[in-house]
Amino acid sequence: MNVAVSPTERSLNWRRRLLMAVLCVLAPHVFAQAPDPADLAAQRAESVTQVVLGILSYARWPVEPAQLRLCIVGPTQYTDDLIKGTTQATGRPVVVQRLLASHPEIVNACDAVYIGKLSADERSHLFTSLIGHPVLSISEGGDQCTVGSLFCLRVGDEQVSFEVNLDSVARSGVRIHPSVLQLSRRRAPAP
Amino acid sequence: MRGDKVRPTLRSVIGRGHLILALLAVTLASVSLTLLGVLALRVYAEHNLHLIARSINYTVEAAVVFNDSAAATEALSLIASTEEVANAEVFDANGKLLAQWIRPDTGMLSRVELELAHTLLEQPISQPILHQGRVIGSTHLTGHGGSLLRFLLSGLAGILICTALSAWIALHLARRLLRGITGPLQSLAEMEAWQSHLQSENESLAHQANHDSLTGLPNRAFFEGRLIRALRSAAKVKEQVAVLYLDSDRFKEINDSFGHAAGDAVLVAVAERVRAQLREDDLVARLGGDEFAILLAPLHKVEDARRIADKIIASMDLPIPVPGNTQVLTSLSIGIAIYPDHGATPGALLNAADAAMYQAKRLSSGGQQTAESEHSAANVHHRS
Repeated sequence: MNVAVSPTERSLNWRRRLLMAVLCVLAPHVFAQAPDPADLAAQRAESVTQVVLGILSYARWPVEPAQLRLCIVGPTQYTDDLIKGTTQATGRPVVVQRLLASHPEIVNACDAVYIGKLSADERSHLFTSLIGHPVLSISEGGDQCTVGSLFCLRVGDEQVSFEVNLDSVARSGVRIHPSVLQLSRRRAPAP
Repeated sequence: MRGDKVRPTLRSVIGRGHLILALLAVTLASVSLTLLGVLALRVYAEHNLHLIARSINYTVEAAVVFNDSAAATEALSLIASTEEVANAEVFDANGKLLAQWIRPDTGMLSRVELELAHTLLEQPISQPILHQGRVIGSTHLTGHGGSLLRFLLSGLAGILICTALSAWIALHLARRLLRGITGPLQSLAEMEAWQSHLQSENESLAHQANHDSLTGLPNRAFFEGRLIRALRSAAKVKEQVAVLYLDSDRFKEINDSFGHAAGDAVLVAVAERVRAQLREDDLVARLGGDEFAILLAPLHKVEDARRIADKIIASMDLPIPVPGNTQVLTSLSIGIAIYPDHGATPGALLNAADAAMYQAKRLSSGGQQTAESEHSAANVHHRS
């Protein structure tokens, strides 16, 4: 009898070991595919910062401001990194401040606005006030991009892409480098 | 002629020298030209590669700024596929690979081109991507040597053609030069030929002076000269020498009845027949008219001289054909004088032989007579 039991136990052990080994091999991959949510947010925020600063670097105002004033309007998701402010490669400082959508002097206080989640009224009020002024507007959400805003971000895990509203660009008086336009147009039909 | 032996050697030596010189010069020139061409092309190829890298930089700049890998790859392949690029890579500021393009392997020739590019060019080249004066990434390029290979192949073909052409022209010029050199030499050789012609002319004149023009036999002066020498050497080694004096018996008669042409033919025939009876070293000469003389030196026995005289007399038995389809018979009377028995000097010997001949003629024409010592006794010898 002992003779019969012994192989069974042995084979059980062997299977268990194999399972353990497979789990051990797979484990790092499983964990890698589910990264820390905090890290993911920070990564997105960094990507958004990169794209926003990139757009700013390719934009030309009718009168170049000595320091670039970027206003963040409304509640935003990915501006944790952007809000710290930075300096452009040309040496021009980028000053970032939060403003309320109802702020009366947005047009004069900002060279660019980063627009978060706003109500339809707030949006239309904001864009109405921006008409005819060289203010570069970037919307964080892609839903309502067709209206008003020059750039709309599409934030994904892989990368942050953007769309351009050429009519708004033409109306604003802010000149955008063609390669940026090309980059966005190419990507527009992608999603 | 000596010129015939010298001329081809000189021609070939100069020709070979010219050929070697021409080939050497052309080869050196073509090799140095090829090296220079390859060097110049290398500079241009590297410059071209840098230009391609720069235009890639301009095109992918925005894509790198926005960290857009797809756009960068698209822009990269757009430029790289139309240029001589084997491999192109775009990295962002952190050294992360953003876009890559590799030329599809199109067979053996492309591998050769790659190898050529690797040997000749300094690669891969790296160029930073700048945005607003700041480095935001870099482009790495590896060229492929398509145009290099084409240049080398076409250059090689051109050099071969030029070498052949230059060699041909050089040879042509060398041949012309050679003609310029050999022309005067040839005329020099002709002058030599003229000189040798003069020499042979002189020789023939000397022969004419010493020989009878009708029979071709030596004349009296030649005979006397030989006789003097023969007597001198015979005196030294104590040898005997025989002088035979020959006279045609019916010559005057033939001359009168058949004409001088017939007489000449008889003389020629007599000379030939006499000559045929003698040894190579013996001498027969025509002394004048129908008189001949023979010198037998050295002579071993007196009987030998008599035997020869008999043979000569016998050789006259056949009739001699003369012009006018007729034949004549002639006979010879021969007088023999032996040195030193019948005379010690040429004159004495000749006189003794002459006298013996007259005696022979007087006794019986067509016979021979040996001179007696001081004409004491006549020894008439009739042939049987």
